[in-house]
Amino acid sequence: MFKHLFKLIWNKKKQNFLLITEMLVSFLVLFAVFTLMMFYYENYKKPMGLDYNNVWVVNYESNADIKNADSLKLYYEALRQNIKSLPQVKEISYTSGNIPFSQQTNQGAFTFRGKRTNGINNFTVEDGYNDVLKLTLLEGRWFNKTDIAGKNKPIIIDADLKAATFGNESAVGKLIGNDDDKEKMRVVGVIQTIKKDGDYSKAGPGMYYRADTGSYRWMNRILVRVAPGSDAAFEGKLYKTIANYNKNSSVEIEHLNNKLRSTNYFALIPMIILGIVSSFLVINVALGLFGVLWYNINKRRGEIGLRRAIGATGGSVSAQLVTEAMLLATLALIVGVFFAVQFPLLNVFDLATNIYIEGILLSALFIYLLVFICSLYPGKQAAAIYPAVALHEE
Amino acid sequence: MLKNYFKIAIAVFKRNKFFTFISLFGISFTLTILLVLTAFVDKVLNDNYPDKKRDRLLYINRLEQRSKDGMMSGTMSYYYLSHFTGKMKTPVKVAISSMFNGTNTYVNNKKIALNYKYTNAEYWDVLDFDFVEGKGFNKQQVDHADRVAIISEDIKKQYFGDVGPVVGKYIEADNVNYRVLGVVKSVPVTDYMFYSDIYLPYTISKGGDYKSKGYSGGYMGVLLANSASDVPKMHEEYEALVKRIPPERKDYTQIHSHANTFLYAFLDTGNDGKSGVMIVVTAISIFVFIFTLLPTLNLVNINITRIMERSSEIGVRKAFGASSKTLVYQFIVENLILTILGGILGTVLAGIVLYAINHADLIANLELTINFTVLFIGVLLCVVFGFVSGVYPAWRMSKLNVVTALKAQ
Repeated sequence: MFKHLFKLIWNKKKQNFLLITEMLVSFLVLFAVFTLMMFYYENYKKPMGLDYNNVWVVNYESNADIKNADSLKLYYEALRQNIKSLPQVKEISYTSGNIPFSQQTNQGAFTFRGKRTNGINNFTVEDGYNDVLKLTLLEGRWFNKTDIAGKNKPIIIDADLKAATFGNESAVGKLIGNDDDKEKMRVVGVIQTIKKDGDYSKAGPGMYYRADTGSYRWMNRILVRVAPGSDAAFEGKLYKTIANYNKNSSVEIEHLNNKLRSTNYFALIPMIILGIVSSFLVINVALGLFGVLWYNINKRRGEIGLRRAIGATGGSVSAQLVTEAMLLATLALIVGVFFAVQFPLLNVFDLATNIYIEGILLSALFIYLLVFICSLYPGKQAAAIYPAVALHEE
Repeated sequence: MLKNYFKIAIAVFKRNKFFTFISLFGISFTLTILLVLTAFVDKVLNDNYPDKKRDRLLYINRLEQRSKDGMMSGTMSYYYLSHFTGKMKTPVKVAISSMFNGTNTYVNNKKIALNYKYTNAEYWDVLDFDFVEGKGFNKQQVDHADRVAIISEDIKKQYFGDVGPVVGKYIEADNVNYRVLGVVKSVPVTDYMFYSDIYLPYTISKGGDYKSKGYSGGYMGVLLANSASDVPKMHEEYEALVKRIPPERKDYTQIHSHANTFLYAFLDTGNDGKSGVMIVVTAISIFVFIFTLLPTLNLVNINITRIMERSSEIGVRKAFGASSKTLVYQFIVENLILTILGGILGTVLAGIVLYAINHADLIANLELTINFTVLFIGVLLCVVFGFVSGVYPAWRMSKLNVVTALKAQ
């Protein structure tokens, strides 16, 4: 049966070659679209890891004209008291510039059992950070005042980093080395990974350092959790409090939920454009396939009439035509998958293998479905051919 | 002759409306997307507001210092730009401005987020902003550190509402009151080198970072040459100058900075080893290639099918002595007619899409239009498209054997 169909396909290799090329290119385009979609979906499924509602971000410049580190700390400590005395402020934390949804990254490395790992997001935060963002603590504890005393610098890591470094072991209490393994740091807690680049981007891995006196020299963000329903009038007041205190710096207040919205927007726009463009491409290809298959069947009336005359049922004729089209699709897919698997094999982009595989499966399924639907109607038409009429024409 | 071909073409299109629809759909849609893409690229790269004298300008927007195992790259300090470009002879004027930064202002319990930029006085001479009212600040005002501001039309509307002239009024931004000197037509944010909501003299920048003697800071420069022919000389002079600049620290072994033309400056990647222009050109080419490949293949498929349908007509014409060349010619003309029809449809569709995009206000002040460049590229694309998708089927057709062609009937 299949051997025979292959023969039929081979006999019209010139025209089929073009059809196969078209299916192949469509497969590759769909592969790109589905892989991206799966990537977004995998990220979307994961929890956000923080509560971004009612959190405001204050951007300021760390250029206070104070040389001594301790007086600088006192200077910002006084500002903290000023802000905290405002009625609607729940909690605040000074932090490094790479706050959630800021598109800023600050990456570093660490060493564990002699193995150096790169590309870890480094956050410098204060004891209040946990309460401002309502992070989920999975193991151990968050930073507190007792951390000043410890021999090793305390750090907190996120679940992604924990899984990659410690696997199933408990991480709390373990010592890990810094960049060049000279200084040891003690893990005091593990938190759920936060999606710092929005809903659709890859989360983690990240590690959190506790701000020390020197950090105030360069930290330039304040995260503020405010009471629900705080309005622009209050925001203006907060703004004045900070701007009047720190005359050397420009001040900008943003809302974390708006920042998330615009971050998501920038992730989604390319996806939406790609989606619209590729769906039109698919419609285009589907119409073309349909047209060509339909025409081919009209041309093969003689052959089909003959098959019907010697006893083939309408169903088997239509099944033959559909199977022929599916075989063509299979040929295209074999070549297409060969190209597609190079992506995970060569690790072209930094994506997990299962995302590629899902992308390949989905796009292959889609192509089969497309070809099936496009050949169904022409196949049905072929089944309706009366042998007498068809053979009479000949 | 052509008239005949035209008539035949129309008759063929009418005979099988479904195929005609598929072809037209494919062509017009592909062209729509390509036209929208061109309109966007054209707007971002070729729109010369506010730098209208682009052929006389060179842009300096990055300084890169490399040591043995690291590099530092970014915008420059005011000192670096004014001190070193001050030594140059070719530029007539040098505009220096900071990157835009965000701040807030609160009017009537309403929050306005705005971006500000510090500039020098020459900025208003080198660049040709369209002033709706008032004018730019001069050197004296800058030297006196006057609290004056040039604001954009957008921010005027947001801050003052729909009122008459606002020159002389005060605008509060970043907790400081500035006297409005002028209002300019807004620049879209895609033109990041010039975009801002309010423009202020650099001498009133908070913290006074313009006084710092370091090389890196938040500023960029634009050099203005006397004439377009002086531009290469100006480029050479800056390259030579950078070679002589002493590195900021001992461990820096190399120092790179370039005075580039707009395109190269705009697409700078932040790394001297990577060419932004190359990356963008490659990305756009790959997209366009894949994107046109599919409809072309589709069209070739359909065209072959259509020709086979007309084998008897071809057989008869061949039998009466028409050469293969004539037939190929005829078929390509037919195909071009179809593509041009699709092209017209595509242009109309592109117009509608651009109208929708402009009204959706995805990027403020980015008014996309179908201009002559875009239209020219569209026509060119049509012809190439028609040609490519017509040649192979026509060649197949001309190879048809007269006897088989006639026998098929």
